[in-house]
This record gives sequence, structure tokens and C-alpha cells, in this order.
Amino acid sequence: MAARSMATATVVADTSTEVTEMAVVRKNVLKDTAACQAFISGVKLLKAEDSTFSTTDFGIAGPPAKVRTYDLFVIWHILAMRTAVPPGGDPDIRNAAHLGPIFLPWHRMMLSLMEANLQRVLGDPAFGLPYWDWTDDTGHGDPTDSDLWKPSRMGGSGPAPFGGTVTDGPFAFDEADPGTFRVRITANSTLNMIRTSRGLRRALGVDVSTVPSKADVDALFDVRSPSGDPALATYDFEPWDGSSIGFRNRLEGFIPFGLHNLVHVFVGRDMGLASSPNDPVFYLHHCNVDRIWERWMDHNGRNYLPDQSAPAILRGHRLKDPIVSPLGSAATPETVLDPTSLYTYDQLS
Amino acid sequence: MDPRRLADVATPGKLGDYLSSLPKLPATHHAGPATTVRTTVHDGHRIVVSTRYEITVDGLPIGAHLGVHPNGQVHCHALPAYQFLSALAAVRALIDNYPEEFPADLAGPGGGGHGGGHDGGQVHGDGHGGGRHEHGGD
Repeated sequence: MAARSMATATVVADTSTEVTEMAVVRKNVLKDTAACQAFISGVKLLKAEDSTFSTTDFGIAGPPAKVRTYDLFVIWHILAMRTAVPPGGDPDIRNAAHLGPIFLPWHRMMLSLMEANLQRVLGDPAFGLPYWDWTDDTGHGDPTDSDLWKPSRMGGSGPAPFGGTVTDGPFAFDEADPGTFRVRITANSTLNMIRTSRGLRRALGVDVSTVPSKADVDALFDVRSPSGDPALATYDFEPWDGSSIGFRNRLEGFIPFGLHNLVHVFVGRDMGLASSPNDPVFYLHHCNVDRIWERWMDHNGRNYLPDQSAPAILRGHRLKDPIVSPLGSAATPETVLDPTSLYTYDQLS
Repeated sequence: MDPRRLADVATPGKLGDYLSSLPKLPATHHAGPATTVRTTVHDGHRIVVSTRYEITVDGLPIGAHLGVHPNGQVHCHALPAYQFLSALAAVRALIDNYPEEFPADLAGPGGGGHGGGHDGGQVHGDGHGGGRHEHGGD
């Protein structure tokens, strides 16, 4: 059954899984204290759990070291980000998880697997990943003062004025504590995976001072010309990258800079790197991004582009292409468009 | 998505097996600056803009690659969510976010540990550190 010991001891993965037949409900982390606390407990358990794999299994240089289950997700994100689409291309133009149509399906799949692991270690098949509706943090003071960053929730920033190692809350670093929340795998500036052993770093509000507002999100649903953008009623457009018009790229935040990307930069440091899942806030943030995608499909239908008529150089981003995931061909954008067998949101807007 | 199938592949064993079976990506040892080539046609004239940044910090070349998006903004794969208005801003952000790669003992007077020289302005936003936006990324 599920491991319930806290992060002070390493536990070995118990893969027995209890599966609920009911879809779970994902709730607002700032309004549901129980969901927030369960998330924190689950993250700590996964951070302590020995996946039984070693760093050498993933080609990480240096002496072998245990890989915790939580850190498998960090590895997955880095590998996807380094995988260019098309092969041999530039992963900074389009990769297997970002800068293209697959951005939303890939992260939906990743979050679902994380949610399943949290359910397992919590022994609670009804646990739903909570979301951080960052728009709640705008319009009334400094977003860095949000309740999310209080010690009882995610903890705060690194030291002022430029950020650094988190010093309070459940993910604070204490070198003397063997159970402390520790970043163990990251990527260097050339995106090679490397081992490390340090605390989680944040720089809340340092590189940008705000998060997206409700108006920024509502603008995604204003498709009337001339006030709105009719292209937002369409999921994505050629050239299917960071320069595209349409919903996906607006939400991903490249044109214009904002929304998803803005939040990564607002939190800063570990959240700004290819290894951004090192910060548990990654999951709360992407859960909200996924919620906005659900809202969009509620308005526009469960539509996705491109379909299989798109050129093969887009393999990995088309409707029926396998997502880079352990589900293989069973997980494609088409098969993840409707998540309601797994989860729903308590509120879409 | 089938919940049982999902729960099955979500186990650490299955996920780890999958990730370890992926082709090992070669270690990137960027040899020299990258070149970004942007092309367009204007009024029938074909335009080609090649951009290559040669960057050193404390006299040493940096490993991270910088490129230019079609809209002229500078990007860096090591900071995937950022967009920069200049290469200088991008390099400042690299120094802030990869402190182990830019040791303080190589910094000059007033530098290191953010003791000086930090003026923000690295992103298309409103950095608290002064918000200086530099143009000329392309």
C-alpha cells in the first residue's frame, strides 16, 4: 500500500496503485487548504521515494546516484525540451513539449502521471492536483504577497533583492536536515543534465513584477474583431512554433510575451530553467494552464491542429502522433483532448 | 485516457524504464557561437539576416547559445520562458540563473553575488532592478 512516511527517510517505490473509477476534481490551491496540504505531503513523499533507477540510467555523468520518483519528472521535462522537432532541427524553435501545438497535450499527460503518483503515495485515489489561478494575485497589491508564498503553503522567495535559495515553507533548504527538500538533478546552460545538491531557488517578482491578470486571460476568449482577435478561436497556425498566431502560442506566451511564460519568469530561478519541474509550483501553474485550455475547449469545441495532413517534419505535434510519454501510441493529442474520465475542474473561469 | 492504463504506466518502474530507454542525447559541447539565419521576402526582394553572437564573460566564452526569433527578440534555450530585447540582457540573466557557471571569484570589483552591476531589464517585462530595456537584439 502507499508509503506514508515523510521525507526524512528514503522509501522505495511501492508501485501498487488503487485506481478510482470516478474522475477527480481539481481545485483552487488558494481556496482549498486540504488539497494544498495533500499536494505538499505528496511532493515530499515522491521526493523521498527511491525510483530504483540511477542517474547513470539516464546518461547523467558522474558516479551513480539514486533517482527519486519526483526527479523522474524533471528528467522527462529536460529530455523533451532537448528533443528537436523535426529531428536534427533546433529544439529552441520547436521541441517535443514546447514551442508548438504539442505544448498543451504534452503537459496534460505529464500532469496526469504526476497526479497518479501523488494519488498512489497519498493512498488517496480521489486526490486532484490543485491549480494556482495566478489572476487572483493581481489587482490588489504586490503578487509576491500572495497567500501562495506564505510558509504554510509554497514558501517564499530567496533573499532580497535578487532571490536565491528558498528559506521558509515546506520546501525550504536546511543543509543539516537529511530530509530537506533538495534539488538533485538539473540542466546546465548547455542543457546537459547534471547532478547537483542544493536548495530550491526562487526570485519572486525580480525579473518581472507581475503575473497575468484576469483581463489577460479573458482576452483569450474575445474573438470579435476589432476589439478581440479572431485567430484565438483557432488552436494553432502555421508555422506551428513560437511565432504562430492562435490560441496555443498566446497561452504559451511567446507572442506576445505573457501568460504561461510570464509566470515562469515571475517565479524565477529554478522555475525559469529547462528543469523547471524542480519547483513544485510548476505543477500548480501548469494545472492552471491546463484549466485555461479546458475553458477554451468549452468555448470552441475539442479541436486541435494540425491533423495528419501536416508535413511529416511536424511528427510529434500532429493530432494522431504519439506524445513523448510512456503510453506510446495510446497517448496522442487526440486521445488526451477529453480528460473528463480522469478529472474535471471545480471552475473554468 | 483510460485511468487504469494511465496509473499503470505512471508507476516509477514504468516511467523510469521508458525514460531510460529513450535515445541518449549526446552531450552538447557547443563549439563556437551559433548562427541564426532569418529570411523573408519584401516587395519581391529576398532578405537574409545572419546573426552570430560572440560572447565572453570574464574573458571566457560562454557555452549557452543565443539566437534571434523572427521578431528580433533574443532567446536562449537555457532560459526557455524568457525573451530578451538584447544579447546583453540575456547574458545578465544567464549569470543570475547559473551562478555555478560564473563564479564570483572571476568577477571584478563590485561584482559577484549580485554585489553590483545588476540592472535588471533582461526580459520583456518590468524588472525591479531598473527595468532598462535595450534594443538592437537583431
